[in-house]
Amino acid sequence: MSTVSETISRGRSARRVRIDGWRWGGRAFLVFMLLYTALPMIWMLLTSIKSGFAAMQFPPQWWPDQPTLDSYQKLLDPQNSVGQDFLRFFWNSLIVSTATTILSVIVAVPAAYAFSRFTFPGRNFLFFAVLLRNMFPAVIFLVPLFILMRAIGLVNTHGSLVLTYLTFGLPLAIWLLKGFYDNIPVQLEQAARIDGATRFQAFVLIVMPLSAPGIIATAIYSFIGAWNEYIYAYTFLSKNEQLTLPVGIQRFFSENTTDFPGLMAASFMMSVPVVVLFLLLQRYFVRALTEGAVKH
Amino acid sequence: MAHVVLKDLVKTYGSFKAVNDVSLTVNDGEFVALVGPSGCGKTTTLNLVAGLISVTSGDIVIGDRVVNDLDPKDRDIAMVFQNYALYPQKSVYMNLAFPLQMRKLPKDEIDRKVREAARVLDMTQLLERKPRELSGGQQQRVALGRALVRDPAVFLMDEPLSNLDAKLRVQMRSEIKRFHQDLKATIIYVTHDQLEAVTMADRMAVMNGGYLQQYDSPAQVFAHPANMFVASFVGSPAMSLIPLEASTANGGAVLTSAEGWSLALSPRNAQKVARATTRKVVLGARHSTIKLHKSAIAGAIPAKAYTVEPTGDVTFVQAFLSGAIVNISVSPNVAVAPDEQIWLEFDQERMHLFDSETQMALEAN
Repeated sequence: MSTVSETISRGRSARRVRIDGWRWGGRAFLVFMLLYTALPMIWMLLTSIKSGFAAMQFPPQWWPDQPTLDSYQKLLDPQNSVGQDFLRFFWNSLIVSTATTILSVIVAVPAAYAFSRFTFPGRNFLFFAVLLRNMFPAVIFLVPLFILMRAIGLVNTHGSLVLTYLTFGLPLAIWLLKGFYDNIPVQLEQAARIDGATRFQAFVLIVMPLSAPGIIATAIYSFIGAWNEYIYAYTFLSKNEQLTLPVGIQRFFSENTTDFPGLMAASFMMSVPVVVLFLLLQRYFVRALTEGAVKH
Repeated sequence: MAHVVLKDLVKTYGSFKAVNDVSLTVNDGEFVALVGPSGCGKTTTLNLVAGLISVTSGDIVIGDRVVNDLDPKDRDIAMVFQNYALYPQKSVYMNLAFPLQMRKLPKDEIDRKVREAARVLDMTQLLERKPRELSGGQQQRVALGRALVRDPAVFLMDEPLSNLDAKLRVQMRSEIKRFHQDLKATIIYVTHDQLEAVTMADRMAVMNGGYLQQYDSPAQVFAHPANMFVASFVGSPAMSLIPLEASTANGGAVLTSAEGWSLALSPRNAQKVARATTRKVVLGARHSTIKLHKSAIAGAIPAKAYTVEPTGDVTFVQAFLSGAIVNISVSPNVAVAPDEQIWLEFDQERMHLFDSETQMALEAN
């Protein structure tokens, strides 16, 4: 009797040790990933509040002796030329990204809904065709798209970027949203239509609110994609006053040799809108809105 | 309230015919169950009436209007779905109010009607909750409330009880039946459970393969199944169907089995068999019409008990006859053991005979 229970308890503790090993391994891995992503950003922040001289020192100052917000003041001051440029780039990026986001939601929502709810000839073909673009690296399309944009006279306009970002962002947006609509039971719309709604009302009043998390996720995805894009903005735009932030920052600071605190301050401010968007809307990513809608 | 008429209703998907020439009339205030196995076309038929899918050919009349081309919202119907389809983002109150808001009723009237419906269904205290905070039975009740708050011409119910546990299902079954009696509502009720149809409906429409098999009161369907499908579908355990061959012996009609035994028929049953298009006839008998004997008597057929299932009130014995499973119910104090030799006596008055070619019930004129 005692031997049996001993074997059992030994077996248990052996198993527990093994699981703990995995668990600690996982935690160690997560800590490593956290440092891997967070440290460069912390270094960016620290550098941005150093003076130009302190930033170049070796061995580096881990914590700046004389922290200063000079770089930020310079970038945000509309009176000086650095600030003028930075604010203009920021504004350009905002316009391009916002336009891309709005258009992509306007197109992706009905497209995804149609793919999810209707059967029509060529549905499957079309659905996979939207992914075709994503099967190739973006650079492959650089030259063809440039020629196309030149032909229709869009080179050196923000429109060229919005169009390009749409072709990149839409496929995934449609796929993402279709998944959301697939998960919303069709009976909800049927119930609404029987309760007196038109098909359109059923969509707007019942389905849209339920797919809000999906729409927001799609919007953020489009916005970030457009906000960070570099190579097309670099190719399509040449006039200084039109540049978006990624290109603007790069070009501006290669001209001004190596103002590292300024560069880091600009980079930090560039990441602010994305982070703010995420913090404001992240709860939608995790909210299981349809829970309890139907019994599965 | 209104009556509903389906005339030669057809729905095809490509070459697949989901609903085939279904014609039936639901009278004003009548509770009709559409019943059949999955894929038989019953839900498709209901969706056609609701207007959620379009008719291929035929007519649907609700009240005095042909509604074929009307939107669901203009058909004056309400529907209860199998998964309830409650709007998850809305409170119970707003769920109930939604159909009224869509009809642009004044706010105070909406409030009055919602509270009245909540009172009738005994869920006043749940009005502020979200659907996900309710139990299955409560969700079911809200779905029912949303249908009844509008006072529609016809109620359509698509397997409303299938998602409930067994105990709650029996309770809600009687509640819906009571609801029908109180409201004198016209109800079309889809279910795959023949027991629900038999217990609740005024008339039941048995469907199979897109065809309407029989449309009659549950008692009639039970006592006079029109064909072998209906016979085997309605009733639990199912009617035993034994394939036999008709012949004559000693001047009377008999059914003989390939196993060597034969069964003499009463004159009335002989008449039925004479009308068959083939000599191959199927004998149908419900468990309660077969008598089990533990010793040989004249006219009884020898068989071997296969399984014995006591249920408390009755014990079901299964045996094989001519390759078919035969269900017999016996009193629980009759002790039968598996593999025991038994003798089965068929009740001539209550047996059913089917033509094995047409599958139709044989009638004596």
